[in-house]
Amino acid sequence: MIRVTNLCKVYRTGAHQVTALADVNINVGPGEFVAIMGPSGSGKSTLLNLLGCLDIPTAGSYHLDGMEISGAGNAALAKIRNQKIGFVFQTFNLLPRISAVRNVELPMIYAGVAPRERARRAEEALARVGLAERMHHKPSELSGGQVQRVAIARALVNNPAIILADEPTGNLDTRSGEEIMAIFQELNRSGATIVIVTHERDIALHTSRILQFRDGRLLDDEPVADPLRALVNEAPGLAEQAGPASNSAAEAGPAGSSVEQSRLAGSITAEAGPAGSRAEQAGSSGNSAAEAEPAGDNAAGRGVAR
Amino acid sequence: MNLLESIRVALEGIMVSKLRSFLTTLGIVIGIAAVIAVVAIGQGGRAVLMSELEKIGTNIFAIYINWRSDKPVTGREFNLNDVAVIKDSIPDITHLSPSSQTMGDVRGTKDKKYSQITGVSSDYSYIRKINMKEGRFFTDEDDAGKRRVAVLDEDLAVQMFGRSQALGNKITLENTPFLVVGIIAKGDSALGFSENPSVYIPIQAWQVMFGEHIGMIEGSASAREKVDEAMGQAVKLLERRHHDPGKYAGQSMEQEMQTANRITGVMTIVIGTIAGISLFVGGIGVMNIMLVSVTERTREIGIRMALGARRRDILVQFLIEAVVLCLLGGLIGTALGIGGAYLIARIAKWPPLVSWWTALLAFVFSAAIGVVFGILPANKAARLNPIEALRRE
Repeated sequence: MIRVTNLCKVYRTGAHQVTALADVNINVGPGEFVAIMGPSGSGKSTLLNLLGCLDIPTAGSYHLDGMEISGAGNAALAKIRNQKIGFVFQTFNLLPRISAVRNVELPMIYAGVAPRERARRAEEALARVGLAERMHHKPSELSGGQVQRVAIARALVNNPAIILADEPTGNLDTRSGEEIMAIFQELNRSGATIVIVTHERDIALHTSRILQFRDGRLLDDEPVADPLRALVNEAPGLAEQAGPASNSAAEAGPAGSSVEQSRLAGSITAEAGPAGSRAEQAGSSGNSAAEAEPAGDNAAGRGVAR
Repeated sequence: MNLLESIRVALEGIMVSKLRSFLTTLGIVIGIAAVIAVVAIGQGGRAVLMSELEKIGTNIFAIYINWRSDKPVTGREFNLNDVAVIKDSIPDITHLSPSSQTMGDVRGTKDKKYSQITGVSSDYSYIRKINMKEGRFFTDEDDAGKRRVAVLDEDLAVQMFGRSQALGNKITLENTPFLVVGIIAKGDSALGFSENPSVYIPIQAWQVMFGEHIGMIEGSASAREKVDEAMGQAVKLLERRHHDPGKYAGQSMEQEMQTANRITGVMTIVIGTIAGISLFVGGIGVMNIMLVSVTERTREIGIRMALGARRRDILVQFLIEAVVLCLLGGLIGTALGIGGAYLIARIAKWPPLVSWWTALLAFVFSAAIGVVFGILPANKAARLNPIEALRRE
């Protein structure tokens, strides 16, 4: 999904040259859930900006979803951000004066989706993060955790290739942070590829792989042997919505302890993922994954994972 | 992002701070309102003036002694033969009358007054389109016979004799009695165009009483387009007959109307310039607030860019916001301007003339202001770097 080769980013400020990233090589497969960690100034934000196509590298190449990005122009980058990437920010970055559902519609406006279809998909995405009843509230009328869930819905709504989250729990209390991580885990189990930047090890341990950065270099690339499971009780909408697809992930990767196994789990999920999303796009009500798998054993799945 | 979507987003932006948006657009509102109102009032006034002039007659002219020539006035500049010859030799002149005026004692049964006494020929009633209230105007026979007959302006008749009492009575002009044969109906001039009330008597009778000299010649041409040429020919003919070039001058209604048109034209330019300046200032106000708005909404711009807005989308968004703002201002201004025009027209008793092209022009103009003064802020917004924009508080 992501293939970064010898990526460099050098900032010039007057006579100074600051090397923010030096020779970074990363591969992230489809369906992986990766955390980028490092102290401030380690280059993790720079990397996220590059991965998010908000910035262009000084040298090296970046393949996203089979496309070479590093040579793309402004308009092309905007299209890639729109179609391939879902952003979740530490400070939420919703537009304050419009309702949750309008916020979720934003990426689809730039994708040229027709208004009716847009509203339907936005409502669907909000339902997926458990905010169906609050979709006409403005951000100021929602709690921090709810606002971040709206942001996640917005990130999902164009069916992006990856979701990039920059300190998504940084401005939230522990419980809301847990909710957000639960949503990410559910999304990941249903096939989404997710990269989050965090400096909290507790948060990083919810993912399946941690990339450690220091001084612009990738120091360490370690799989998480036994990812922490976030409690999902607080987000009642999730179980029904994301449930069916999550089964396959849960069954494919039971208690995966080796890197190979977790990677394997990722790829299997990825295979299930596109099918699911295609079904969504076609607008079929019952998605194929749900019919193929016996529904209603979320609890069992969670049990196995623990 | 399509146009409709952009307009919706722009309206959302404008509605967030209604007061500020209104104040921003106030310059445009006032500018457009002023243009619409002043143009409408000017058009109304001009229409009234023109209809008045047309009522008097667009094809009439007068030839008088050119006061600018320093030749001595002899009192023999015009004679009755001149009038006859001019009328016979210039076919485009349909009516021609000598005209002499003096002031004298006028006495009726009820009152007496020092009033104007005018000697003219029967053609005068056609030239001035005189409407008789009672009786008749005097005829060529009255003139040729030097008969002592008089026609009075209505006001004078009422003053001298009382209502409907004048006809058939004798009016005494400088101790000479004249028979009143007609009363001239008062004109319904909205502008109050009316000359001093006068007694009209046949020119030859006038000459018997006050002397041979004729003050000027009045005439009418067959058509408005012919009047200046016919008048010129008449002036030349007079000069030839009296061997006195430069002595005579003519003034036609056509020239008066052209002067009036020129004056309204100049006024339109002056008003247009003032309105243009006020709209320019209004546009700068819009640009100023749009620049502030771009700075305030830097983060929003960053978010939109992160979500896939191209620079062009941002440019269009802010441009449309400026245009919508100016159009709203233009709309309010047009409404106010039309209201103002109707109000003033009502007070001045003029027809309010709000032409559709003025409103259309205001509409197009305010949109143009939006584009011209919106492009700079919009461009500033579009050039933002998404990373820096997102970092901004």
